[in-house]
Amino acid sequence: MKKKLLAATLAAAMTASLTACGGSDSAQEKGDGVSITIFNSKIEVQAQFEEMAKEYSEATGVNVEVYYSNDTVAAHLATRYSSNDPYTLSMVDAKDVYSLAEDHAIDLSGEKWVENTNYALSVGGKVVGFPVCVEARGLIYNGDAIEKITGEAFNPEDYATLDAFQGLLEKLAAGGMETPTGIMKEDWSLAGHFLSEVYEMQDDVDGFITSLHEGTADLANNAKWNGKMDYFDTMMKYNYAASSAIAAEREVSEQKLAEGEIAFMFGGNWDWSMINAYEYSENMGIMPVPENTSDGSNKKLVGGGSKYFFIDSSENTSEEQRQAAKDFLNWLVFDEAGNAFLTEKCALVPAYSNIAAAGLDPLSVSVKSYADAGNLIDNYNYLPDDHFSLCGAAFQKYLAGQTDRAGLAKEVEAYWASTAPVER
Amino acid sequence: MKTNTMSYKCKQFLMFAGVTTAVFVAVVIVPFIYGIYLTLTSWDGVSKEKPFVGLANYVATFADGAYWQAMGRTFLYSVIAVVLVNVVAFVLAFLVTSGVKGQNFFRAGFFTPNLIGGIVLGYIWKFVFNRAFVALGTSLSIGPLSSSWLATTGGAMLCLIIVSVWQYAGYMMLIYVAGFMSVSEDVLEAARIDGCTNTQSIVYVSVPLMMSSFVQCLFLTVTRCFMVYDVNLSLTNGEPFNSSVMAAMHVYNQAFTYKNFGVGQAEALILFVVCAVVGVLQVYVGKKGEVSA
Repeated sequence: MKKKLLAATLAAAMTASLTACGGSDSAQEKGDGVSITIFNSKIEVQAQFEEMAKEYSEATGVNVEVYYSNDTVAAHLATRYSSNDPYTLSMVDAKDVYSLAEDHAIDLSGEKWVENTNYALSVGGKVVGFPVCVEARGLIYNGDAIEKITGEAFNPEDYATLDAFQGLLEKLAAGGMETPTGIMKEDWSLAGHFLSEVYEMQDDVDGFITSLHEGTADLANNAKWNGKMDYFDTMMKYNYAASSAIAAEREVSEQKLAEGEIAFMFGGNWDWSMINAYEYSENMGIMPVPENTSDGSNKKLVGGGSKYFFIDSSENTSEEQRQAAKDFLNWLVFDEAGNAFLTEKCALVPAYSNIAAAGLDPLSVSVKSYADAGNLIDNYNYLPDDHFSLCGAAFQKYLAGQTDRAGLAKEVEAYWASTAPVER
Repeated sequence: MKTNTMSYKCKQFLMFAGVTTAVFVAVVIVPFIYGIYLTLTSWDGVSKEKPFVGLANYVATFADGAYWQAMGRTFLYSVIAVVLVNVVAFVLAFLVTSGVKGQNFFRAGFFTPNLIGGIVLGYIWKFVFNRAFVALGTSLSIGPLSSSWLATTGGAMLCLIIVSVWQYAGYMMLIYVAGFMSVSEDVLEAARIDGCTNTQSIVYVSVPLMMSSFVQCLFLTVTRCFMVYDVNLSLTNGEPFNSSVMAAMHVYNQAFTYKNFGVGQAEALILFVVCAVVGVLQVYVGKKGEVSA
C-alpha cells in the first residue's frame, strides 16, 4: 500500500511539473494584458509584420503575435476554427471573406476608415473586410531594356493597341532582342489572372457569367475573348521559352525581365517581391494589356482591393481583444507609424485616400497612378474555387500548342456549363 | 494469484498497452470515424453548420471523372514504380552483400536519398530535369534531353517514377540486405556442394528463405506509392495540364482548394479502402509463400 501511495505521489509530482512548464508563457503578457493574434497571408511581408508587432506592443502595451502558414488560407483557417483557436485578426482573400464572414466576422460598418476607402468588402449590407492594399494586373514592362534598343523614350500609352505593340516587338526583335516576351505558365496566372480579364472587361460581368453557366455565351465570337487571345498569341510568338513554354520557370522569367533580357510579361505588382531579388532596372512599370479596341479598356489595369482583415466574432475572442483589433486597424490608417509600416516597410499600395505613399516600388507606382486616376477595372471576386485549376489546365494545353483557340473556348465553355453558380 | 480471470487480463492489458491504445484511439480511430461522418455532410471546412446530405458525396465521387483518372494514373504509377523499386533494391542489396570493397560505404550512399524529405527531393529533381538535363542536352545536342521532360504528359509521369525509385530503392535495399544476411551460410554451402550455380542458389535457396523481406518491401512500396503526395506536389504539382495529379493530390485539391470537404473526404475514404485491400491481399498472398529453413 505504501509503495502504491509513493508511486501515486511521484506521478502527481511529475504531472505537476509538466503543467508548470506549459503554463509559464502566460506570465509574459504585459501592459493592460490584452493580447491579440494576427494571421498574415502575405509571405513577402512576414518579417516586417513580426518587427511591427514588437514595436506596436512596446508603444501601446497590446501584445501582438503574428502568424503565417504555408497552407492555403482557407485550409489553415479551417483548422484554426475547428480547434476553437481562431485568430483575432485574419488577413484573407476576398473570396475567403465571402465564405467566412457570415459565421465568423464582426460588423465594422461604424469604423472611421470606411469613409476613406473605395475597397471595403461588405457581406449582407455590413462592412466586414478591411482592405490591406491595392493590387492590379497588367503587362509588366522593362523600360530601360526597350529604350536601349529603340533609342527613344518608352511611353507605355503609345502602345495601347495591339498593332502598335506588335510594331514595337518587331522593332525589338530586329534590334537584337529576339524574344522580348515571357509568359508565366502557372495555372493561377493563366486562368486566375489573365483569362478572368475576359470576364471582367465585359459590359455586364454578372450577366456574362450567368450566360456562361447557362451555356448561351459564345466565346469564340466574343470581342473581348478574341481581343485577349490575339494579344496572347502575340506574346506566344515572341516568348523566350517558345519551344518549351510550359516548362518555363517563374523565377527564370522574372529574372530575365528584371535584368532586361526580355521586356514584357503579364503579371501584377506583387511580382515585385520576386523581381527585387535580382539586379532589376529602375525604369519598370505596369501597363494595360494592348488590344485593338476603342472601348477604353486598353487604357485601364484590372484590380482593386487585395487581402482583407476581418475580426473574429466567436466567443473565443473577448470584447477587449476585438477593441484592440479595431484600434490596430485604425492605427494602420490614421497613425503616421501605421502608414509608414504599410507603404514604406511593406511597400504596399494603400487602399485609403488619406495615406500619401512615397517611396513605393516602380510597379506599385504604376498601379497607384492608375488607381488614383480611377483607371482600375474591378476584380471579379466570385469565380468558382476550381476555375483557376481546371481552366488553367485547358489554357496550358493552348500554351503548349496542343489545342487551338476554338478548342480552348469549347473547354472553357464546357467548364462553366458543368459548374454550379457560386452562391452569393 | 489467479492469472486467467477477466479482471487480471484487463489489468495486464491496460498496464502494458493502455497508454498506447488510448493514444491510438485518440489520434487514429476517433478522427477516422469522425471523417466517415464528414463524408455524409456538405461541410465546406469553415462554416459552423454541417448539413447532412446522406450519400450524395459518394454519388458525386463516382461521377467525378477527374478522380477516377487520377486513380487510374496512380495504379499505373504504382505498378511500374513498385516493380522498379524492388528490382533495383534487390540488385543493390545483392551487390552490397556480395563482398565488394567498401560495401558499407555503398550501403550508406544508396540509403541517403531516403533521408532527404520528399518535398526537398522534388525541388532538387525539378532543377535536375528542368535545367541540368536540358543544359546537358543542348550543349551535347542530345535530342531527347534538350527539352524538359516535365513539360510533356508522359515525361512528367516518367520523372515521378524515376524520382520514386531513386528515393525508395535505398530503403528497400536495407530490408533486402537484412534478408540476405539472415540466410545461413550452412544452406548456401550445402547448395554449392550439391552443385548449384550462383544464380541457382539465389533463385532456389536465398529468395524463398527471404520471402518475408519481399512481403515487407512490397507492402511498404505499394502503400507509399498509392499515397504519394509530397514528391507529386513539389516535382510536378499536377502539371502539365493536371495530367500528373495523383489520387492523394486530387483528394487534397477537392477538399481544400475547391472546398468540397465532404466529397474530398469520401474520395479519401475510397482511396483508403482500395489501398487497404491491395495491401492486405498482397501480404496475405506473400505470407503463404513464406518458407522456413
